[in-house]
Amino acid sequence: MSATPDSLAQLLQSAAAMQESGRAVLKTMLGMGEIEVGTSEKRCVYSEDKMRLYRYAPLARSAGLKPLLICYAMVNRPYLLDLQPDRSFIRELLHAGLDVYLLDWGYPDGADRFSSFDDYVDGYLRRCVEFVLKEHGIDALTLLGVCQGGTMSLCYAALEPRQIAQLITMVTPVDFKTPENLLSKWAQHIDVGLLTQSGNVSGDFLNLVYLSLMPFRLTQQKYVNLLQMQGDRVQLENFMRMEKWIFDSPDQPAAAFREFIQWFFQENRLIRGELTLAGNAVRLENVTAPVLNIFASKDHLVPPSASIPLGAHVGSKDYEALEIDAGHIGLYVGGKTRKTVPAAVVAWLRKRN
Amino acid sequence: MSAQGPFSGADPFSAAHLAPWKEFVDRLGMGESNFSAMFAGAPALGLGREYQETVQRLLDLSRQFQQRYAEFAQQNVAVMQDAFHVMKKRVDAAPSALKSPADLYDAWIDCAEGAYHQAAHSDSFARLLADLCNISSAIKVERGKLTEQLARHLDLPSRAEVDSLHRQVRELIATVRAAAGAASSPAKAPAAAPAPAAAPAKPARTPRKRSKK
Repeated sequence: MSATPDSLAQLLQSAAAMQESGRAVLKTMLGMGEIEVGTSEKRCVYSEDKMRLYRYAPLARSAGLKPLLICYAMVNRPYLLDLQPDRSFIRELLHAGLDVYLLDWGYPDGADRFSSFDDYVDGYLRRCVEFVLKEHGIDALTLLGVCQGGTMSLCYAALEPRQIAQLITMVTPVDFKTPENLLSKWAQHIDVGLLTQSGNVSGDFLNLVYLSLMPFRLTQQKYVNLLQMQGDRVQLENFMRMEKWIFDSPDQPAAAFREFIQWFFQENRLIRGELTLAGNAVRLENVTAPVLNIFASKDHLVPPSASIPLGAHVGSKDYEALEIDAGHIGLYVGGKTRKTVPAAVVAWLRKRN
Repeated sequence: MSAQGPFSGADPFSAAHLAPWKEFVDRLGMGESNFSAMFAGAPALGLGREYQETVQRLLDLSRQFQQRYAEFAQQNVAVMQDAFHVMKKRVDAAPSALKSPADLYDAWIDCAEGAYHQAAHSDSFARLLADLCNISSAIKVERGKLTEQLARHLDLPSRAEVDSLHRQVRELIATVRAAAGAASSPAKAPAAAPAPAAAPAKPARTPRKRSKK
């Protein structure tokens, strides 16, 4: 842009238009009221401490597939998968006739500071799996793990391969020490023992770390771009739902967090075959069920290089990797992917039942 | 106070009146600027030595944090300078490509993220962030010690006390779960025994571990 009278006039026009957009955005936001998330009908079928196991009400005739248990990450809330009726990974699965269970870790507090990674995988997750198996009178189910929940699911599938009929991992870190993994680079020199000595790690702290991965985009550009929405209520509601989800971050139980950072990020024990949970070696070669590994090509939290190596380490002879052109979150709520990803999951499951 | 009162006349606390005292204190090396340094290095003696040590550590940690934070701020300045250089090159190379303020802003964000990305992936940046995090954690721990002492003085439940109770509850839960498991499926024990043999890589579970929370 050169400083001619024309360009100055254009600049002033743009500034005026931006001001008008800002006013419209603010007005719409103020009139929005409560933001609703996770609206699909579900009921709690099993609970323990803060953890809840939900079963979703069916939306279609049963496809006759094995029940699917979703194990979400502990670092965020699982309603991302059911953000709103037209952006719901879970709803798409229900429409395909799947019987969907969701493990919600809840909001850990000071009473959970001694809960270990063992407690979560070999305790809560184990008892949820066993509950679903008993409920359906079956020996094995489909386990779907998301992000950190995918790592936990892998651990469980390696510990109890006979209980897992199919394993689906989504944006799941397996090799925690690849050059693209900025989170991992930052985690290497953290004294996580000291960090957790004063109790749980706050969700705000984690959010600060996530924002620091791309500070200009995530703390500035994102909000400036709001002006382009021109007060469009639907778009702004979508934005606010996502905003709520991003900052609705549970605190992390001190012991489990310390172990997760140390064992996975700093020592990379899972892929090195050196992880032990509840006194048992966690070996990825014990994962013999069919595996679908979904990763996102633009993922800045779990780069593809962290997920791709899974194929070379699992014992399964039926392994499929699926690369999606999206980011870590866009995978579930993106314009196209919110339909194509669940469709790919369902198609993969149908082939194996 | 009337002008005829005992303190009439010159203000006894004026800078001029205090100047000789200040000079005396400064000569002893106890001046305002040296006090914190003196306290930080003073040997911890007597009844208050435990508190003194904690406060000394807090002071030292605060100093360390300020030092590292200044380096962090400097690093950010360097990132911004790099971003400006890249941005200038971009504008010079294709001045007509940026048609609106929005284009200009987006280009700036790209340049800033690019410069930041390069810095953030360096080992020095990771160490700097880790130091800031580690020092903050250490401050939190020391602060906790003071709070703990205060709670004890006021006969309030302290963190250590709650933690101790919590550990006992966890042990009780584990014991109850193990007992309940054993009572509900006594016949299962022999059936489960062959499992470790079938998978030799996995050591046998101990009942205690299996029955964790």
